[in-house]
Amino acid sequence: MKIWNYLNKKRNIDDISFLESIPLYTILCIWAFICLFPIYWVFITSFKEAYVVNQGPFYIPFIDFQPSLHAWEFVFLQESLNTLKPFFNTVFIAFISATFSLFIGSMAGYALVRIHYRPKIASIICFILLLIIGVFFVAKYGQNWKIVLVSGISIFILFLLTLSRRFSASLKNDDIGFWMISQRILPPVVVVIPIYIFFQKLGMLDTYSAIIITYVAINIPIVVWLMRDFFFSIPIDLEENAALDGASRYRIFTTIVLPLAKPGLSATFMLVLILCWNEYLLNLFLSMTDTQTLPLMIASMNTTRGPQWWYMSVIIITMIVPVIVMALFLYRFIIRGILVGAVKG
Amino acid sequence: MTIKTTFEERLDKQAPLVFILPSVLIILFFSIFPLIVSLFIALSRLRFVRGGVELKYIGFLNFKKLIFGSQQYHLLGKFDQLTPIGYIIISLFALIVFIWFIHYFKSHKTSIPGSIGRVVVSVGMFFILLLMLINLTTPKGLPGTLVVTLVYVFIGVLVQFSIGLGLALLCVKKIRGRSFFRTVFFIPMMITPVGIAYVFRMLTDMTKGPFAPIITWFGLEESSWEVIPWGARTAVMIGDAWQWIPFMFIVLIAGLESLPTEQKEAALMDGAGGWQIFRDITWPTLLPVSVTIILIRLIEAFKIIDLPNVMTNGGPGIATESLSLHSYFNWRTMDLSGSAAVGYLLLIVAVFICVSFVNLLKNKIELAHR
Amino acid sequence: MTFNNLLSRSIALIIGAGFFIVPTVYSKKYDGVTVNILTMEAPQIKGPMVKRAPDFKKLTGANINVIGVPFSDIYPKMESDFATGTNSVDAAVFAPQWMVDFIEPGYFEDLTPRVKKDSALEWDDVGLFFRSFSSTYAGKIYTIPLDGDFHMVYYRSDLLAAAGISPPKTWEEYIYVASRFHGQDMNGDGTPDYGSCISKKRNAQAYWMILSIVGSQIQTKGTGEGIFFDPKTMKPLVNNAAYSRAFDIYKETTKYAPPNEINLDVGDTRGLWTSGRCALTMDWGDIGTLAIEKGSKVNNKTGASILPGSRLVLDRNSGELVACTKARCPYAVNGINHAPFAAFGGWSGAVNISADSKVKDAAYDFFSYMAQPNQSNKDVTVGITGMNPYRISQFENINNWTSAGFSKAAAENYLGAIKSSLDSPNMILDLRIPKNQRYQQVVLDTEVHRFVSGEITKEEAMQRIHDGWEEITEEMGRDTQLKAYRSTLGY
Repeated sequence: MKIWNYLNKKRNIDDISFLESIPLYTILCIWAFICLFPIYWVFITSFKEAYVVNQGPFYIPFIDFQPSLHAWEFVFLQESLNTLKPFFNTVFIAFISATFSLFIGSMAGYALVRIHYRPKIASIICFILLLIIGVFFVAKYGQNWKIVLVSGISIFILFLLTLSRRFSASLKNDDIGFWMISQRILPPVVVVIPIYIFFQKLGMLDTYSAIIITYVAINIPIVVWLMRDFFFSIPIDLEENAALDGASRYRIFTTIVLPLAKPGLSATFMLVLILCWNEYLLNLFLSMTDTQTLPLMIASMNTTRGPQWWYMSVIIITMIVPVIVMALFLYRFIIRGILVGAVKG
Repeated sequence: MTIKTTFEERLDKQAPLVFILPSVLIILFFSIFPLIVSLFIALSRLRFVRGGVELKYIGFLNFKKLIFGSQQYHLLGKFDQLTPIGYIIISLFALIVFIWFIHYFKSHKTSIPGSIGRVVVSVGMFFILLLMLINLTTPKGLPGTLVVTLVYVFIGVLVQFSIGLGLALLCVKKIRGRSFFRTVFFIPMMITPVGIAYVFRMLTDMTKGPFAPIITWFGLEESSWEVIPWGARTAVMIGDAWQWIPFMFIVLIAGLESLPTEQKEAALMDGAGGWQIFRDITWPTLLPVSVTIILIRLIEAFKIIDLPNVMTNGGPGIATESLSLHSYFNWRTMDLSGSAAVGYLLLIVAVFICVSFVNLLKNKIELAHR
Repeated sequence: MTFNNLLSRSIALIIGAGFFIVPTVYSKKYDGVTVNILTMEAPQIKGPMVKRAPDFKKLTGANINVIGVPFSDIYPKMESDFATGTNSVDAAVFAPQWMVDFIEPGYFEDLTPRVKKDSALEWDDVGLFFRSFSSTYAGKIYTIPLDGDFHMVYYRSDLLAAAGISPPKTWEEYIYVASRFHGQDMNGDGTPDYGSCISKKRNAQAYWMILSIVGSQIQTKGTGEGIFFDPKTMKPLVNNAAYSRAFDIYKETTKYAPPNEINLDVGDTRGLWTSGRCALTMDWGDIGTLAIEKGSKVNNKTGASILPGSRLVLDRNSGELVACTKARCPYAVNGINHAPFAAFGGWSGAVNISADSKVKDAAYDFFSYMAQPNQSNKDVTVGITGMNPYRISQFENINNWTSAGFSKAAAENYLGAIKSSLDSPNMILDLRIPKNQRYQQVVLDTEVHRFVSGEITKEEAMQRIHDGWEEITEEMGRDTQLKAYRSTLGY
C-alpha cells in the first residue's frame, strides 16, 4: 500500500502518477505513430520498384522487398536538370519571399500598434470607385491602361486635396488591421487570372520577381497579424525614452523594437517560409520553365499513366527533409514566439 | 540633445506613411485590384480571340446559372422535403434568434449598424442551416459544393480543435520525452498540401496501401471508402486533420504553459477536482488563444482544394468537391467566367462566416480578457 | 621573304581562312535557334523528345527545349499563352482533340505545304485515320502525329484459352466473360481477382470509356458520320436507346470489378492488370507494352482485340435500336458493327504561327524527325515512351517488337488487333469542336460519374447530358458549333 501511494504521489500539479502515465504514454505514442507512419511509408515507397508498388503493400525493406535506387537515380541523375532547378527555385523563392514579407509586414504591424491612423472613409470610397471605373474603361473600351492609370491617380489626388476635407468620418487602426487580415480569406483561384494578365502585360511572366512579389503580397496579412501581437507586448516606455533622446522612428524600430521581437520574428519567418515553400497554385500559373518549384513537380508525376508513386515519393522526401531540419533548428524560437503572441490573443 | 536636420525631421514626420504604405500598396495591387477584375470576369463571358481576350457583359447570368439554373445541383445540391426533425431544428433556431433580438433591443445599446448587422447574420445563418438540413438530413437530398465546403469547415475545425486540445492537455504534463513528442507532432504541418494529398491517396488505396491487409482481415474488401459519399468525405477530412492538428496542438501547448501553476495548486488545495480546475482556470485562459486559432483555421479551411482533388477528383459524383475545387475545374476547361463566379460565391460565404464569428464571439471574448 | 617566313605566313593564312570556312562548311541549318516545346511533364512523350533532342541538335544545330507541365494544365497554359500574346511556347505536343480551340482564333501554323514537300516523313505510311482526320481540320494539316491512340480490349489469353472461350466480340460477350472469371484467383496469390477492370474515376479518363461502349451503336457508315451530334441540327445524340444500353453495360461491368473501380484511373487499372488481377480490361495501347515490362505477371498472357461491337445500332430518326443489316452497317463483320474509338487522338505536335520563322521551321523539322520511321518505329515498341503505333510500317516489321521483348505470338496478336482497328474505315473521331472540354469533361464526365455512383438514374443522366450540351451549344452559337463539327468530320 505504501509503495502504491509512493508511486502515485504527485509532487507537483503537473506531475503524473504512475497509474496515469500508462494510458498517457500510450495515447502519445499512438499519435506519434500516426504522425510518422505516412512519412515512413513515403520514404520506403521511394525505394520501391514499380511492380513492387503495384502488387500490394510491402512494409519493411530488405525483408519484404528489395529496395532499389532507381527512383532516386531517375529523379536526381537522369532528370537532374529537371529536379535541381526546381529545388533551387523553391529554396531561393521561399527565402527571399519570406524575408521581404517579414520586413514589409513587420513595419506595417509595428505602425498599426504605435501610430494612430485616421484614413477618411470618403477617400477610400473614392479610391475604390476610381479603381472600378478605371478597370471598366480598360476592359470595355480597351483604352490604354497607362492613360487610365495616370488620369485615375490625378483625379484621386485632386479629390484628396479638395473635397476630402469636408468629410470627417474615418476608420481606425483596428479596421485597417482587420482589412489586411481579411485578405487572407481570398481564395487564390479568384485572383490568379488577373494577376497572370497583369504580369503578362508587363512581360514579367516566368520571372523570379513576379513570383516573389506575389508570394509577398499573399503573406503580408499573416505577418501583420502575428507581428502586431508581438509588438503589442513590448513595453512602450523603452521607445518613449528613446524618442525623448531624439531618436527617429526608424532608429527606434531597428535598434530597439526589432531585437526585442526576435522570437516573434523567427516564428513568423518560419511560418511564412513554410507557406511559400509549399505554394502550388500561384506558381502553376506564373511560371513556365525557369521558375517551376517542387510542388509543381509532385503534381507532374501524376501523368496520364497514373501517378508514378515512386518518383513522387522521392520528391516529397526531398521537399520535407530541408523543412524538417530548419524547423528543428528554429523550434525553440517558434514556441517562444507563438507563446508570446498567442497568449495575448 | 542632438539637433535634427530638417530633412531628418521631414523623414521622421513621414514615418507613419513610410511604415504602412508598402504593405497597403502591395495588398491593393494584388488583392483588391484582382478582386475587381475578377468581378468583371464573373459578370461577363470571357472568350479568347486573336490578340487577347473578349469580355462580353452578361450581368448576373453566371450567378443565376449557379443558383437557379443548370448548375444549381452542382452548387446547392439536390433538394427534398424537410423531415419533421428538420422542421423542429429550424424552429428552434428561429426561436433562439428571436430571443437574441429581444435581448439586444432591451439592452438599450442599439445602433443602426448593429441592428442591420444582426439581421444580416440571422438571415444568412438561417439560410445556411436550412440548406444544410435539406441537403443532409432528407432522404433524397444531396449536398452540393457549398454544403460540402461547409461540412469540411465546421466538422473539420471542430475535430481538429478537440483533438489538438486533448493532445495539448496531455503533453503539458511533465512526461519524459516531451520535446521528442512535440517535435514529432509538429512535422505534419510542414509538408506541402499537394504532397499530403498524394501521400494519403497512397495510404488509402485498398489494394496497394499499407492498410490493405487490415481491410481484408475485416472482410471489407468488397466495399470501398471511395464509393460511399460520406466515406470519401471522411477520408478527405482525415487527411486535413492530420495536417492541421499539429497547428492547434502547438499553439494550445504554448498557451497552457503560460498558466502559472500556483493558481492550479491553490485550487487543488482548496479541494477542487480536476474537471473543475479545467473549467474555471484552464479553459478561460485558453479561450482567447483558441478563438484566434479557430479563426485562422476557419479562414484557411474554406480554401481546401488539394486533398479532394487528388484523392477523389471530386467524386464519387460530386460528393467531395469543395467550392475551391469547383472553381478550379471550371478554370481547367477555360470557363473563366464561371470560375470567377464560383470563386466570388466562396468569398462571400467565407467572409460572412468569418465576420460573424469575429463579431459574435471573438470580440466579446477579447473584451472580457483584455 | 625567307622560306620559313613564307611557310609560317601561309600556315597562318590557311588557319585564319579555316576559321571562316570550317564553320560555314559545318554550320548547321538552325544554329543558335531555340525551340520551346510545351508538353506533359512525364517520362512519357516528353522522355523520348528529350532523349532525341541532342541527336537532332547534332544534325541541325537547333536547341530543343521541352517544357513539361502537369497533364491537366497543358490546355489552359497553351490557351493563355497564345491568347494573351505571350507566345513563349513555340510549339506544343498535345491532344489533337483540342486543336480546334486553337485553330479557330488562328494560333496554329498550317503545315500542309511543309508536309507535302517532306519525303522523309513518309506521310502515306501514317495510318489513314491519323493522316486524314486526326491531323487535319477543314482539309488542312495542322499537327504531326507522334503517337496513335485508340481503345482496345485486352484479355488474359491464358485464361480464355484454357476455358475455350474466344475473345469477346460484343459487349454482351464481354460481360459474360467478366462474370465467368470474376472471383477466381488469376495470379496465384490466393486472393480472388476481378473479371473486368475499367477506369471509371471522375475527372480522369473515364469519359472516353463510356464513349467506347456506346460508339459502335451510333456510328456505322464510317468516320464521317460522327457519334456526338446530328450533323444537320447539332442536336446531341444522347437521349436515346443506344446510351441507355451503354449505361446499363457500363454499370454492369462494375459488378465484376474491384470494389473501388469508380475511383480508379488508368494508372490504377494498369497496375492491377500487370499484377494479374483482371481478366479483361479496356485501355489504350499501353497495356501491350506494359505487359512485357520487368515484374509484370502477365507477360505472354495478354491478348488484345478490337473494341467489342454491337449487333444493334441506333436508328437516328426514331431513337430506337434496330438490327444491323448490310445496308445499315456496311462495315459490319459477321453482323457485328465495330467502331474503334480514337480516344484522345494521339499526342501530336503543332507549331505556333506567331513564332519566329526559323523557329517554326526548326520545330516542324523536329516533329518530322520524331515521326519518321527510323525514330518512331523504335519508340513505339518501348512502353515508357508512351507512344503507341500509328504507322503501317510499325506492324509490318515484327522484329522491332520481338527484340523489344514481345514473344512472336504476343506481338502478332497485339499488332493484329491494332491493325484491324487502324484499318477500320469506321473509326470514331473524338469530339473536336470548340469547348469540347466542357462538353466532355464538365457535362458528360460528371453526369456519367453521378450515374455510376448511384446519385442519379440513367434517364436523368441522359437528360442532363442532353441539356448540358445544348446549353453550351447555345452559348457558343449553334451555327458556329455546327460548322466546326462538320469541318472536323471532313465536310
